[in-house]
Amino acid sequence: MLRLSNVCKKFHDSLVLDDININIEKNSIVGLAGSSGSGKTTLLRCIQKLEVIDSGAIECNGELGFMFQDFQLFPHMTVLQNLIYAPRILDKKKDHSAHAMRILTNLGVANKASEYPDKLSGGQKQRVALARSLMMHPELLLCDEPTSGLDIATTLDVVSLLESVRSMGVTMIIASHDLDFLTKIADRIIILKNGKIIIDIAPKTLEDPIQYLKKYY
Amino acid sequence: MAGEFKVAELISSILFVGRGITITLQLLTCGILIGLVFGIIFSVLRYKGFGVIIINRLISILRGTPLILQLSFVYFSTPGLLGFKLSIVTAGILTFGLNSSAYVAEILRAGIESLAKGQFEAAKTLQIPNFYMWKDIILPQVIRNIFPAMVSEVIALLKETALISTIGGMDIMRTAQTLAAEQFTYFTPLCIAGAYYYGFVLCIEYVGKKIERGYGYAKA
Repeated sequence: MLRLSNVCKKFHDSLVLDDININIEKNSIVGLAGSSGSGKTTLLRCIQKLEVIDSGAIECNGELGFMFQDFQLFPHMTVLQNLIYAPRILDKKKDHSAHAMRILTNLGVANKASEYPDKLSGGQKQRVALARSLMMHPELLLCDEPTSGLDIATTLDVVSLLESVRSMGVTMIIASHDLDFLTKIADRIIILKNGKIIIDIAPKTLEDPIQYLKKYY
Repeated sequence: MAGEFKVAELISSILFVGRGITITLQLLTCGILIGLVFGIIFSVLRYKGFGVIIINRLISILRGTPLILQLSFVYFSTPGLLGFKLSIVTAGILTFGLNSSAYVAEILRAGIESLAKGQFEAAKTLQIPNFYMWKDIILPQVIRNIFPAMVSEVIALLKETALISTIGGMDIMRTAQTLAAEQFTYFTPLCIAGAYYYGFVLCIEYVGKKIERGYGYAKA
């Protein structure tokens, strides 16, 4: 699905990604952990081609979707317009509203379809952002800190939301500093430190994954 | 009888000063149009990295020298430089338009820079083509953000058009001065001119507020 070979990325003179090699299987959920500044977000941005890598290769077969940490909903459009704007440009003939409403219903925010983003809570914005990326039928969804700023109950909701996204056959890479959240959802956890992969492991093989992984922070 | 005479005189004074409205509004509307067109051209060129140094210098000069100097320069030095004479109104429209374009370009730059980089990136991740991104995602937000500043610019330009009187343009200011010279009093003519200008400013503010309310969604 996705293969990164010897990926390096520099900002000015500091190496932010240092020889990253990852191979990701279809329909898996990969957690990308590490403290702030470890390179998680940069890695996602490189995969999405929002940043240009300095060396190495990224091969991806499949549509990409991206969920920003701060959602980046379009504030001058309603929730429904946010969802159907891009698909409508790419395919003018099709009516995308029904599909959009179906996704909003599945994510439990159908009643917000005609609201503007500033009227939504953090959790609702999160769902709308997820819905908007799902409209593009991504096969690989990149999520940047999907639980930042959410309370514990809403974080648990995000776990089940992303589980349901996986059941649609979507592969995911989730960058988060929240190990508790990642061990709940990820098949595999990769920890970055100073731009290097320091561990790549399936949490289910560990007895106490959080304790084990914390040592690598 | 004396009272009636005064009212009639006042009305004729108001009408006399009112003859300047056409020129004032002509300068304002044409000036704003030129200002918008060149302001947008300047900021797009600058954003794309074309002629940045020249445009920055031009904007700096336009904002850094007195408007009355620019107006006199355009009107009095074009015959010597270009070999033909511009009409007073043309010189005014050109000067006010170019001067305003410098301010519009700066307002636009601030508007685009204030928009989160993430909005460009979100459009990119959703595969929205450049043209549509600018038309439907970026510009509507930029225009909303800069609208109050643009209204201030229109008001500033309206007041600046009064400078045309210094090169003989028969605008509201000049008709008021003419009337003052005839009546040997400045009080009434200048009050009338002031009322005209202030009335137009109130109209611009009113329309501006109306439009602003149309953009009534709060910032995300």
